Order: sequence, then C-alpha cells, then structure tokens
Amino acid sequence: MTLRDSNWVRNGWSLSITVPATVALLLAAISIVVTIRALSRVEETQQRNLQELSSAYLDGLSASLIPSVVREDVWEVYDILDNSRARYRGLNVQWVSVTNGDQKIIASSAPERFPPLEPMPASDAALFSFKEDVMLVDSDKQARMVRSLVYQNQEIGKIYAVADISALMAERSDVLRELVTTNAALTLCLAVIGYFAMRWLLGPVHILSNFLSWGRAGTMQQVPEQVIAQQSNEFRKLFENYNAMAAAVNEREVLASELAEEEKLASVGRLASGMAHEINNPLGGMLNALDSLKRYGAREEVRATSVRLLEEGLTGIRDLVRSTLTTYRVDQRPRDLTATDLDDLRLLIKPEARLRKLRLDWRIEIADPVHVPAVPVRDAILNLLLNACHTSPEGSMIGLAVGVRGNRFVADVTDTGAGLPAHMREYIERKGAGSSPLDRRSGLGLWIVKRHCDEMKGWLEILNSNENGTTIRLVIPVSGEFENAA
Amino acid sequence: MLTGLRRTCRRSALKALLGLGTAGRAWGASPAGIVFGLTPVFLNNDIELLAKLKAYLSRMTGRDVQLVQRRTYEEITGLLLSGQLTAAWICGYPLVQYQEQLALVAVPLWMGKPLYQSYLIVPADRKAASIADLRGDLHAFSDPNSNSGFLVTAALLAEMGESPDRFFRKTIFTYGHRNVVRAVTSGLAQSGSVDGYVWEVMSSLEPDLTSGTRVLRKSELLGFPPVACLKRLAAIREVSLIRDALVAMSDDPDGRALLGMLRLDGFAVEPSSLYDPIAAKMRLVRSIDG
Repeated sequence: MTLRDSNWVRNGWSLSITVPATVALLLAAISIVVTIRALSRVEETQQRNLQELSSAYLDGLSASLIPSVVREDVWEVYDILDNSRARYRGLNVQWVSVTNGDQKIIASSAPERFPPLEPMPASDAALFSFKEDVMLVDSDKQARMVRSLVYQNQEIGKIYAVADISALMAERSDVLRELVTTNAALTLCLAVIGYFAMRWLLGPVHILSNFLSWGRAGTMQQVPEQVIAQQSNEFRKLFENYNAMAAAVNEREVLASELAEEEKLASVGRLASGMAHEINNPLGGMLNALDSLKRYGAREEVRATSVRLLEEGLTGIRDLVRSTLTTYRVDQRPRDLTATDLDDLRLLIKPEARLRKLRLDWRIEIADPVHVPAVPVRDAILNLLLNACHTSPEGSMIGLAVGVRGNRFVADVTDTGAGLPAHMREYIERKGAGSSPLDRRSGLGLWIVKRHCDEMKGWLEILNSNENGTTIRLVIPVSGEFENAA
Repeated sequence: MLTGLRRTCRRSALKALLGLGTAGRAWGASPAGIVFGLTPVFLNNDIELLAKLKAYLSRMTGRDVQLVQRRTYEEITGLLLSGQLTAAWICGYPLVQYQEQLALVAVPLWMGKPLYQSYLIVPADRKAASIADLRGDLHAFSDPNSNSGFLVTAALLAEMGESPDRFFRKTIFTYGHRNVVRAVTSGLAQSGSVDGYVWEVMSSLEPDLTSGTRVLRKSELLGFPPVACLKRLAAIREVSLIRDALVAMSDDPDGRALLGMLRLDGFAVEPSSLYDPIAAKMRLVRSIDG
C-alpha cells in the first residue's frame, strides 16, 4: 500500500469527491433558488415597465384621440394611431383600434382587419374583458390593452390595443439561459476547486489513514519527523499524538507477548506438575509392587497381584503420555473434530480435577466427525474447563455438554463458582474482544478462547451466571471446510 | 404665348428690384415685411424646404418674410381673403371660388408647363377598371377646397349624376395629398383622389408608399395650384417683389436648389383663364349639389 491508496471513505465515496459534490449540489440548489428569484424579479420588473409604458401609451393616445373621436374623424384617428407607432416603438404594438360609443370602429392601425364603420368583432372584443388597463397573455406572447375614452363624463369610445411582448419573453429566456450557464460554470468551477482543495486539505488525514491501515497488519509505524514538520500546527499535533499512541500500542503488544510467554511457561509448569503428580501416584503403587515382588516374589498370589498393579500403573502412565502427545503434537494441520478429541480433554483435565477433588459431568453427544476445526475447538474447551476447575470450590462438580444444534457446534461448560464478575461478562460478550487480553490478573485463558472464537467466526454466550455457578456456551458454525483434512 | 408672358414677368421683377413699385401697405400683419401663406399642397412640412424658401424670399425681396402655414386650404384662403397675407400658395379651386377677390401672382411650372393632373388611386392589388367600380367605397379626399384632391372627382361624379356622399359609402378628408396615399396604401380607404404632381414626386421619393397604390384614372391637364393675392393688393410693391422673386427662382442657384427640392421647373406669370376648366368643374358640381 502507498500513501496515494486512500481508503478513508464513507459509504464507498472518497471525501475528496463527496465534499466538493455536496458543495456543488448546495451551489446548484442555491443557483436554482437565485435563478427563480431573479427570473421572477425580471418578470415583475418587465410587467411593471410594461404596465407603466402601456398606461403612458393609453394616456397619450386618449388625450390625442378624444377630440377626433368626438367628431368620429376617421382620418385623424387613423393618423394619430399610425403616428403613435413610431412614438411608442418600445411597446411594439401589433394593432390598435378605436371604437365609438356604439362599438363601431372609427379607425384602426390595421384597417384591413378592422375596417372603419364596421362593428368591432365580438370575438376580438371578448379578448379584452378584463378590468385592468393591461393583461399579459404569455401563451400568445401578447399584452392586451383596453381604455375607455371618457369625454364630459360619458364614454364616447374605447381603445383596444395588442402589443407583441415576444421580445420581453425572449429577454426572459436570455436571462434564464445566462443565469443557468453562469451558475453551471460557477458550480462546476467551484466543484473542481473544491475537489483539489479537499485533496490538499485531507492530505494529512490521508497519510494518517495509511499509517493506521499499515498498523492493522502488525506493528504500528511512526510517522517520520520530516513528514510531521511539513504539516500545519493542528495536523502536527495530531501526528505527534498518533506517534505517541502508536508507541503505546506497540509497547502494549510487547507486554502482551511477554505475558503470553509467561503464561505459556506457567502452563507448561502446571502441565509438568500435573503429569508428575499423575505419574507419581501409580509410581508409588508400582514401587510398592516391585518391593513386594522382591520380598515375596516367590509367593504366587503376591507375584500375581504385584504384576497386575504394575500393569495398571504402567497403563495409566501410557494413557497419560498418549493424550499429552495427541494434544501437543507438532502436526497441527486443520482437521474435523472427533469424539476422541473430547475424550482426550477428559484425560487432560483429570489431573486438575483430581487436585481439586472435582467431579466431572461429561456428556458428549456428537456423531463423528463434526466439521469444525479440531485443535482450536479443543483448545478453547480445555481453557474453559481449566477456568471452571479454578473457579469451582473443592469437592464440587464441573460439567461439559457437547452437541450439534442445526448448523452450529455448541459446547456448554458449567462450573459451580460464585458467578462471573461484570468486567468478565462484558469481555465475554463483546465482539472482537479477542484482539487484546482481558487484564493481567485474569490470565490469558479467556483471551485464547476469544481469539479462537474470532478465528472460527464463533462466539461465547453466558447461559447463566449467579452465586451457584456459571454456564458458558461456545458456539462455532459448522462448515465442510475441514472434511477432507481429517 | 407663355414664353412672352415670362419675359414680361422678368421685366416686372426687375422693376420691383429697382424699387419702382407703387402699391401701399394695406394689410395689418406686418407693414414692413411680407407674409407668405402656404398650404399643404406639396410634400409635407419640410423644415429645410421652408427655411430655404424663407431665406430665398427674404434675400430676393429684401424684406422680412414670414411664412404662415395652416392645415387646410380654407384656413389659408380665409387669412388671404381677410388681408392677413401678402400672398399665398393656394389651389386652383379656391382661386376660382373667390375669383372676384383674388388675383394670380405666379404659377409653378411642372415638367415645363403650368399644368398638372388629378389622380384617382386605388390599392395596387385592387381589380377596378373605372370610377364606376368604386361605388360604396370609403374614399379619401385631400381637402374639400382642393381641385385635384376633391373637385375633379366630384365633377366626374357630377357628370354621372352622382355626388360623393351618395356614390361613396363614406368620404374622409385627410388634409394632405400624401395622407391620401397613406390612407389608400394602408387599406383605410379603398380609393382616393390625389394631386398627380404630389403622387409622381412621392413615387420617386417614397416609392414604398406609392407602390401600394395604382392610378386608376388621370384627369385632363389643369392649372397648377397658383400663388395668389387679394386683387385689391395686386399692385402693391411687396406682391411685385414676391412675383419677381418667384419668377427669378430658376435663374438663381438657391432658387434652383429650392425648385429641385420641389421637383418644379420654375414659376411663371400666367393668365387667369388657365383656371377656366376648374371653374367649369366647380359650376358642374354646384349644379348637382343645388
């Protein structure tokens, strides 16, 4: 792995992508809001301007037209309308017609469509049935205007006008296009800048992430001094803290290894002591039998009894040696668990049980073979049994019940101790706790069990734990992985 | 005959320039100056043209010249008859209407003659062959006191035993020959009566406007709208000065520039009999109206 291989990601996306993308999205959202606001302002302004221009147009026309409308002078009305085109070019009037009080056209700027002296077509007049002076019709790109001509408090006629507002609509489209283009360009530009800025800003995090990743594989590495020196104050402090933490973790690892070694030696000592004890017991009897043979070997019944005692003693020693060899043999290739492995456990635990005068409740209900790795399972159960021996009072009983439930191998280890302390319960039930030992005073037995559980994707359950005793269940998923390795 | 008259005119102008005129000042508007009336007989009010005309007349007459414009012939004729104008460029119709009070000062020459025509125009795409096809139209006249823009068509209808009000559905007066062309081109009017001289000049200056019209009928040649004065003031010096200045226009660079703008060849002194055909039309129309 190199410094460039980043895996500090969230939901599968790198921060250097997600942050600029989020910023870009926010900017896009702001752009949309701003665009809508700007467009609505443009529309309002256009509408206001159009209203004002239309009012000015209608005011100007009314003032000029009234004398001519009073006289119903066709030419003068036409002349005024025709000349007003140039004067109000900004309004882009398509046509304007003036009617008299009887709704007959006096003149129109489009005389062929609205001939003088003809009634205003009802279909056209209907388009102007609104109260205000002006009404915008976006669909037709038209502004329709109407104004009553009042002379001496009497309506003497009306002005009808239609203006082409396609230029205003086009202006609105231009504004929209310009806003969208500018905002899109800005958003894209800022996203790109954001991407590179984030990459630059997250550079130290990237480095730290890589060092942490490397640490997962083994010993944690220190960030080199020259790399720390290149960082800003905040990251320099972070890197120094990381280095301190890495040193602490490494030291803890060393201590744990030492501890494990000590425990191993202690175990070897205990084993040697147990074996010596186991050998010593028959040895005493065997020596007595040998002594009897020496003294009374001539006597048939003494000779037979002594030989039987010697045979029993030697058989016991042979069994002990065999189980020890089976357990600690060098060949530790993965293989499936058999009932014999569990019988060996009985032999292995016997010295410890005898020492504490414990009775064994041994229930093995498995059909050969069970597809779980034999060595770590047996090791884990042995450690649980040893713990049970240690916590149970002298003369009491410990139990082992083994079986297969569905796709799971289960082993329940029961003691008659005073129940588990809280920190130990928490340690047993916590997932991934096998990465470090419980604590120094608790020994490494439980840690070894947890490590085996983690390796085999299994777990521990506390079935019950009170002042009368504790039952811990080891659960290992059964698979066919070791079937052919047995 | 016309050449001889023009020679006479030039002599009069010379006399006027030499200060040999004898008339007194009978009008009240400007005792020391000249007040010259203009009708919209020609192209629309052209500020440059008016400025040049004023400058030319002032220089040639040696008097302060004031140009007076009115919208209608009636207004200018009224000012002229009331003695408020030294002279005015009016139409042949008012001249014959008030032939007892008015006298000719000079007549413009167009295409070398003191004559012009009245045109009956229709939209360019209209299929009409004669005036009979125009019955029921909205017809645009120029001015009720215009010869070409009213009287000629009214007389033509009178010959048919009709009057404009009966023959046409509606008549409108646009008070300008150019406006008649505008009214017909735009479709406001279905036909119009217009000064042939104005239409021809417009067809070279504003072809887009005249191209929307078609000349349905040209009248016979009639006396060009003249410059006239009150008969009782015809002998005063200012009138002579005006006549001389007008007649001398074609001999003067500024005058020629003015004539160029007006598309005219000059001014001449013509006999009042030039307007007899117009007087005959007037009588014909009056006989129908009566």
